[in-house]
Amino acid sequence: MMQMTQMPRHHRLALALLAAALLAGCATRPSAPSAYVVLLEEANGSVGKVTYTGAQGTAELNQAREAVALRGPAVPFMLDAEQLRRDAGAAMAAQPIAPRTFVLYFDAGTAQITKASEALLPQILQEVRSRPTAELAIVGHTDTVGSAELNATLSLRRAEEVGQLLTEARAAAAAVDITSHGEQNLLVRTPDDTAEPRNRRVEVTVR
Amino acid sequence: MRNLRILCCAAGLAAAACAAAETVGHVKTVQGEVSVVSDSRTVAARPGTPLALGDTIRTGSTGTVGVTLKDNTMMSFGPSTRFTLEEFLFAPTKGDLLLGGSIAAGTLHYVSGAIAKLKPEAVKIKTPSGVIGVRGTRFVVVVEQQP
Repeated sequence: MMQMTQMPRHHRLALALLAAALLAGCATRPSAPSAYVVLLEEANGSVGKVTYTGAQGTAELNQAREAVALRGPAVPFMLDAEQLRRDAGAAMAAQPIAPRTFVLYFDAGTAQITKASEALLPQILQEVRSRPTAELAIVGHTDTVGSAELNATLSLRRAEEVGQLLTEARAAAAAVDITSHGEQNLLVRTPDDTAEPRNRRVEVTVR
Repeated sequence: MRNLRILCCAAGLAAAACAAAETVGHVKTVQGEVSVVSDSRTVAARPGTPLALGDTIRTGSTGTVGVTLKDNTMMSFGPSTRFTLEEFLFAPTKGDLLLGGSIAAGTLHYVSGAIAKLKPEAVKIKTPSGVIGVRGTRFVVVVEQQP
């Protein structure tokens, strides 16, 4: 104590800071379990729901950073952001670029792409080129006008037409997949035999 | 997993559905030591490496890897991870949707794709001590290292 008072002021300050740091270190020492599942906010800001069922029951997580231990009571707790970064920062940083989907529309009953959609094609090429190993998925669809058989054919023709229009993008992609869903996968739900421009489409996903 | 594939073919589903069971996703990002272990062989992962049902992804002590599946599910893994892709069915027009995996060690960061959005109960991730059910969302699971 004697020595302490004789210390130059800045030494005392340094000691005090060291003590504070040590205390803080103890205080933030992770009390949370080392094995857990934690719910996070999605890129669009929404928060979904996760359940975890272990030996001691089921816990439901429904807010961001709510977590539950993998072993132990099924009681959720809030996970410290710093611990999350420490435990999972590397995994989160390894996330691939999110896939991007373009929806291209067609004139009724034909494989003729609309002018507005044709204007989007250069963006698709750009998106393919911006990724080191792009995959291109081209999926054709129709509305419910006409028979299911005819629509199966028409949706494939639409997908193939887009494939033709995207020659450069196909060449730049590591993998290309062209498929069709006929009238089975409506964007907008309608009864049978309903003209719906939004269902007459080809969805192009770059991933 | 192989049983699933055989079942899928035996059930007389479209050939396309069976073919889809072959490659269900691709490696997109790699850092450090990462391998993809299948029935017969082990390959060093690099961007573009295909993933099939039953494959196990292993990362070294400084390795990380990110994969994107055909339904746009993204999964990325931290160091010292072992994850096996056990189930994947993505045929929205038939309602055949299934995604299952198991993490034995390490860290998984999961961002849901179409399967979890179309049919939430179709996604299950196993840990050594329980099962994670996913309702269209993003989560992280950290598993203790196995001795």
